[in-house]
Amino acid sequence: MQKINKNVVLALLSLTSLVFLLFQLYYYKFYLSQKNGAVFSKVRGSQSGQDSTRWHVVRKFLGLIASHNIPVYLIDPLILGLVDKDIEQIRSSPGGPTPECKYFCAPRDFTTFALLDKTWKHEVGLFRTAEKMGFQWLKFINKDPRLDGMDDLSGVEIPLHYIFKLASHAIHLVVFYERSGNYLWHGPLRLKQHMDRKFVPFRKLHFGRYPGAYEKPELLLVSIDDLKVQIPKNPSNFLEEMSHSRFLECRYREARAFFQLYPDDASLDAVEFRKKAKSLLHLAALTLNNLGVKFWLSSGTCLGWYRQCNVIPYSKDVDLGVFIRDYKADIIPAFQKAGLPLKHKFGKVEDSLELSFQGEGDIKLDIFFFYEEDDHIWNGGTQAKSGKKFKYLFPKFTLCWTEFVELKVHVPCETLQYVEANYGPDWKVPVKTWDWKSSPSNVQYNGVWPVDEWDDVIQIY
Amino acid sequence: MDEWKPNPAIKPHKKRSWYLAWKYKLMNQRTLRKLCQTGAVLFLLVTVIVNIKLILDTRRAAYEEEEESAQDYDDELLNVEVPRHPVSNKKVLDVEVYSSRSKVYVAVDGTTVLEDEAREQGRGIHVIVLNQATGHVMAKRVFDTYSPHEDEAMVLFLNMVARGRILIFTIKDEGSFHLKDTAKNVLKSLGSQVAPFLSWRDMWTFVGKKGGELYGEKHAKSPALSTWGDPVLLKTEVHLTSVEDAECHWPDTELNRRRKRFCSKVEGYGSVCSCKDPTPIEFNPDPLKDNKVFDVPVAVIAGNRPNYLYRMLRSLLSAQGVNPQMITVFIDGYYEEPMDVVELFGLSGIQHTPISIKNARVSQHYKASLTATFNLFPDAKFAVVLEEDLDISVDFFSFLSQSIHLLEEDESLYCISAWNDQGYEHTAEDPSLLYRVETMPGLGWVLRKSLYKDELEPKWPTPEKLWDWDMWMRMPEQRKGRECIIPDISRSYHFGIVGLNMNGYFHEAYFKKHKFNTVPNVQLKNVESLRKDAYETEIHRLLGEAEVLDHSKNPCEDSFVPDTEGRVYVMFIRMEQEADFTTWTQLAKCLHIWDLDVRGNHKGLWRLFRKKNHFLVVGVPASPYSSKKPSSVTPIYMEPPAKEEGAVAVPAVAAAEQT
Repeated sequence: MQKINKNVVLALLSLTSLVFLLFQLYYYKFYLSQKNGAVFSKVRGSQSGQDSTRWHVVRKFLGLIASHNIPVYLIDPLILGLVDKDIEQIRSSPGGPTPECKYFCAPRDFTTFALLDKTWKHEVGLFRTAEKMGFQWLKFINKDPRLDGMDDLSGVEIPLHYIFKLASHAIHLVVFYERSGNYLWHGPLRLKQHMDRKFVPFRKLHFGRYPGAYEKPELLLVSIDDLKVQIPKNPSNFLEEMSHSRFLECRYREARAFFQLYPDDASLDAVEFRKKAKSLLHLAALTLNNLGVKFWLSSGTCLGWYRQCNVIPYSKDVDLGVFIRDYKADIIPAFQKAGLPLKHKFGKVEDSLELSFQGEGDIKLDIFFFYEEDDHIWNGGTQAKSGKKFKYLFPKFTLCWTEFVELKVHVPCETLQYVEANYGPDWKVPVKTWDWKSSPSNVQYNGVWPVDEWDDVIQIY
Repeated sequence: MDEWKPNPAIKPHKKRSWYLAWKYKLMNQRTLRKLCQTGAVLFLLVTVIVNIKLILDTRRAAYEEEEESAQDYDDELLNVEVPRHPVSNKKVLDVEVYSSRSKVYVAVDGTTVLEDEAREQGRGIHVIVLNQATGHVMAKRVFDTYSPHEDEAMVLFLNMVARGRILIFTIKDEGSFHLKDTAKNVLKSLGSQVAPFLSWRDMWTFVGKKGGELYGEKHAKSPALSTWGDPVLLKTEVHLTSVEDAECHWPDTELNRRRKRFCSKVEGYGSVCSCKDPTPIEFNPDPLKDNKVFDVPVAVIAGNRPNYLYRMLRSLLSAQGVNPQMITVFIDGYYEEPMDVVELFGLSGIQHTPISIKNARVSQHYKASLTATFNLFPDAKFAVVLEEDLDISVDFFSFLSQSIHLLEEDESLYCISAWNDQGYEHTAEDPSLLYRVETMPGLGWVLRKSLYKDELEPKWPTPEKLWDWDMWMRMPEQRKGRECIIPDISRSYHFGIVGLNMNGYFHEAYFKKHKFNTVPNVQLKNVESLRKDAYETEIHRLLGEAEVLDHSKNPCEDSFVPDTEGRVYVMFIRMEQEADFTTWTQLAKCLHIWDLDVRGNHKGLWRLFRKKNHFLVVGVPASPYSSKKPSSVTPIYMEPPAKEEGAVAVPAVAAAEQT
């Protein structure tokens, strides 16, 4: 009796499991057709199948792009990281067949490519071909920032990102635009309301959380994993650049509102000053960039950018900030060589360093050096006649790129805090009489230089 | 018992038990059953595990996707889609048309699509074209048929409208005085019964379909010459057709899709919307060899003259060496139709909120357009600036490609322009010849980025200064003695008759007879001689070889210049100082060239052609070339006619504002 029971139970169980199996198969099939195999390989657990899917999708995409003569280049940080390790070998090998799929099979959800906007013609045909090849695609458009600074121009939205999806892999195509200041810009990726939020795991994208600014890269055609693809000539540089590429757009709308309240000074003097300040800033940027010294817009120049997207015509000088760790002794000779003689030097590298150079006309270039503490950052000031020291305190900040007077420059990402620290909550109101010793809201008296050090810490030329 | 001999060497018990176990198993198949059982259980377990994993996997994937649908990437701005004009599915349109002395209006389904009660404006026949499937307004025109020739324009327009469209007519004030029989017959063919009998100050409204079907017509006769007919209000219904019927069946290509979009929205562009044999909208002109202006952005400055823009873009896109990707059309105002034209040709267009009024508005629009152009093409060193009322010569880009390096290298140059102010049919001859002139002709020109960014943009006239951008650019403070390069035969043609500073009379007198190059691939002659110093050498050479004309004759007479061809002649006129253009203006007047202000001079020298001879005019003694005058020759002096001064002053103002 027991035996029979056991057998019956067994048979029943087997039957159930068989049914289960059949159901599983059906489910696979159902899921496959719906998801284009997204889950298929995941569940099968067969890593190689998944790997080759990625490679196949990349290959198909490159084929699609090539058929429309669109030059893209690889900017995927993951693959570039792998490529960078073998860069010498890849550069030297002409690209014979490789034994294993090393780069394009690496596990990831996306492969990211870049496209220079001016190198293609926005043909609609591309997308039709893509669809025929089985790609699903999404396009992300937004306002053209190159026209944002201008009064009341409209009508153009530009494509910023494309995502092409095939099977379980997606290609993220980032569109780069050339902007005034000789750099490349890509926009943020923002989903519009009607968009499919589950199209791809957007959070895993490497580009698009913020807009970014890049130098124009030199490209190299390489063959990796039997695919010919363009990559930045120096992948490690590119990856470095990518890590701090965040870009801030000037607040054009607020600037317009500011000029409504306080009409711009259009006098010849103001025009002249702005022209000179612009060329001084260009010269300073060139000099510091050549030295590899990172700098940002500080004080009045930063306020001008943040408040009115322009040079404040009555500010009389150009102010830059540099972290003291980036200080180089070459700075002074380099500026002198560029035709900007040292006007004065206050403080020393260990404390409150400040350099001023004499620009063309009456304009002065001030470089303030910033000292980092645990919870704040500060720079120093010195009164020449009394030897009094001052300290200007700022909350900690990181650096972002922006565009100012046709130049790609750094500003503190946390600009509002920076400006508020310096100019107080009423920074929006223009103040023409400004005393650097008392007006800033973050100034602190910092003692007096010992008289025996004066020759060193107060140098006036 | 005796059989059993225990032997320590062997282990019979063990052997037996193994054997027995084996035997037992074999016999009972219990182990087999157990094995089967275990196998089945294992199998079941595996199935269950795989199933659970599958469920978890899919669950997680779904969950992740949901979670990760990128809050970061959400567009912060809630795009509240403003519903566009709701497209009603109604099959019938209610149309109301009103005609009276001082006011006309047309309402379609309660929406006013035309209302004009402005004083002393909008006289004549107003025409509205509706799409027969959607009821959308496709074109709106007014023809002042009180004045001559306007009826011809109306006939032309009506002929361009596609069959099947709904036409609405209404008269404001007076529309019959110059409405000729041809026009009346066209109206009659559209189904109007009243049109042939329309007369002085009659009020009239009419709704019909092109190609037949009359929806309604009302008419009020004027009782007497001095009074108008009573206002008439026509209310009627129009039955819409299906969209299918309203469209042409062109092959489905990218180009035709653009065409379709265009043709379903606007009317009055003739064969571009013809069903049978539509005119192309892509031109593919020959590329230029070694094109130096391929990457130079082209800014087309436009207002609300879509028909002009259409004609202009056609000629521009047909010019050899054109690069459509570099073209941006800047539209002054949120006008739809110019944008439709831009999209028809697949170009990019930017609309600009109008700032200020009249000339200052144009000026602000120019500034915005130029700034935007250099922002959009930050690499560009130059920009080509065109206007919507220009025809562009087939060798426009070839002309620029051959000369643009001068603008880059010669600091004394202000611009390169495609327009020769003095290049009329009878005064221009040589397509390969270039000049240097002290004036800035505009009308198709190249601007250097550094000039714009460093000098012009920062001090561009502000909106409250009602200045003309071009007059401003010509001022000595801006031009700073620099010159422009122009061709003898213009590479652009100014066809605009309607415009801010333009009217039919003015156009006829000063623009219609302008010479326009139609020869492709003209090889420019001696381009290097256009550089600052080389040009002086060239002029001295020319003057050295020139024959001095007989100064006793009247320079206005045709016989002043001998009946020769290909010779160089020189004449000397009186010009006391640099700004003394008294004689020149009189001479220009009798030569029927531009005389409203001074154009085309270079250091007191003008170069043009007469009877196919190169004809030089030197102002003595102001011009440095006066030394070439033989001592025996007395410079000619021509006195301005004293009476006409007042009369001259008026067009002079208009002229100063023009271009």
